[in-house]
Amino acid sequence: MPKIYIVATATFWIFVSGLWLAGLSAPKTLAETSVPVEKGYSLTDVAAHASPSDCWMTIQGKVYDVTGYLPDHPSRPEVIEAWCGKDGSKAYDTKTKGRRHSEAADRLLEGYFIGDLKQTTP
Amino acid sequence: MQNLAKLSAPILSLSFVAGLVLWAYPEGAAPARQIGIILGWVGCGMLLASLFLALREPRLTNLLGGVENMYWWHHRLGLAAYVALLAHPLLLAGASLPKAPQEAWELLSPFTESWPVWMGWLSLLLLMAGLGATFATRLPYRIRRPLHAGLGIATSVGLIHLLLLGIDEPVEPLLLASLALLAWRFIREDWGVGASPYVVQSISRVSPNVVEISLAPLGEPLAAKPGQFVLVAFQSGRRFKGCCEFHPFTVSSIDGASGLRVAVKALGDCTRNIQSIEPGVPARVQGAFGEFLGNPASTPQYWIAGGIGITPFLALLRAGRLDRPTTLIYLYRSEGDALFVDELNAIAANLPNLALRLRATGDEPIDPESVLPPGEDVAKAEFWLCGPPPMIELLAGFLRRRGLTNRWMHFENFGAL
Repeated sequence: MPKIYIVATATFWIFVSGLWLAGLSAPKTLAETSVPVEKGYSLTDVAAHASPSDCWMTIQGKVYDVTGYLPDHPSRPEVIEAWCGKDGSKAYDTKTKGRRHSEAADRLLEGYFIGDLKQTTP
Repeated sequence: MQNLAKLSAPILSLSFVAGLVLWAYPEGAAPARQIGIILGWVGCGMLLASLFLALREPRLTNLLGGVENMYWWHHRLGLAAYVALLAHPLLLAGASLPKAPQEAWELLSPFTESWPVWMGWLSLLLLMAGLGATFATRLPYRIRRPLHAGLGIATSVGLIHLLLLGIDEPVEPLLLASLALLAWRFIREDWGVGASPYVVQSISRVSPNVVEISLAPLGEPLAAKPGQFVLVAFQSGRRFKGCCEFHPFTVSSIDGASGLRVAVKALGDCTRNIQSIEPGVPARVQGAFGEFLGNPASTPQYWIAGGIGITPFLALLRAGRLDRPTTLIYLYRSEGDALFVDELNAIAANLPNLALRLRATGDEPIDPESVLPPGEDVAKAEFWLCGPPPMIELLAGFLRRRGLTNRWMHFENFGAL
């Protein structure tokens, strides 16, 4: 049993170091390599994509198509799927007892950006 | 029936883990991510099962095949959980590696501000330190013990990590269950609230590093049988300062309807201190545990004892019960290490069923051929072995080579409690 512990622990740290080096040597994140999109959508446009198989949401005035990300979200699916087709800004900012999502999550989110939210007059 | 009880610990544990995985089975994610999530739940379930199997309630231990069986699974499930939980974050991060290496590291990095990730790391580091301390047998017990207890805390911290990720079902009840198990273990068992009060009645010096302590109950006595062991924490007396830690000791005698005796060899700080114990010292006792020497077959019996391992056999001989032809082979390094020899000779003289063989082995490794000569028919006998692990390993291997199956060999094993 001690041998299994030693081998598993050493392997873990080798892989962590490898991921750290891979992160250091990577020139850009997915978000940074994404092609900028200059398009505007209204809340009505966003509301038309309100299912897990076609999920858009707005966060802080930006529109994201997060359909491809839904399976990767760490929480129960219902937690994020409830915001498909809606403005999820408040939920994004109040995760984990009032704490907002991490900066890493911000960068990840940028990879799913598809346009700005058009301001509509009342 | 006993085999069924022994299987109940793994069956219950693995069913619980399978239930968690089925409940939380991730659909639609990348394969590496799916495996990472599954391994997270497998590790979480195994840790909880391992925590449950660390409880030492006599009724529970009877249901689950004995405390040795529970601890066997406790250790293996704990290690398997550790391996699964090490792989869990690596696979989650690794799933992002092909398309975005920087994001893979950010998912894992403890340097980004993220309570869920910090809690995950804290849980892993507590597991790492706790298991490391368990295997680092050269570390003093007073350091190993709290680090090992950190493994239980790691379970709750890991569940908090899941809660912070927004996974509240079924994590909230699991977190409550883990805290309840921890409280049960610490309060009832480690602090001794669930133990029976006893008092040291008398002490007998057996050798320069072994004392035999007679204990009398202050309340309801424990039901103990020869071959079983108890966990005893000696407290402080007028001059004696106890270490108050629970240590396992084989019962060396059952005195009358309620008293019992344990032989304590100076092996570590606490047991060395116990050598100077005095009458009147209060003690907390848990048990009795184990089934060694219980339900012997009707075949000839061989008892092989090494050093302090004579105590379960002595307890049975002192009880005066021996209804099968029995050979007791007592091995010790030198005459000075032989314990209770005069008493054993006196008992053997009065028990026609008992053949006593005393053997000083010296400092060289034991030659099994000299203990059990080739001409001796052991294939139809039942063997009970109690002594240092290397001795048991050596003799068990020898007996297997002589054609004996595990069914006919029994070992007293509580070293890892």
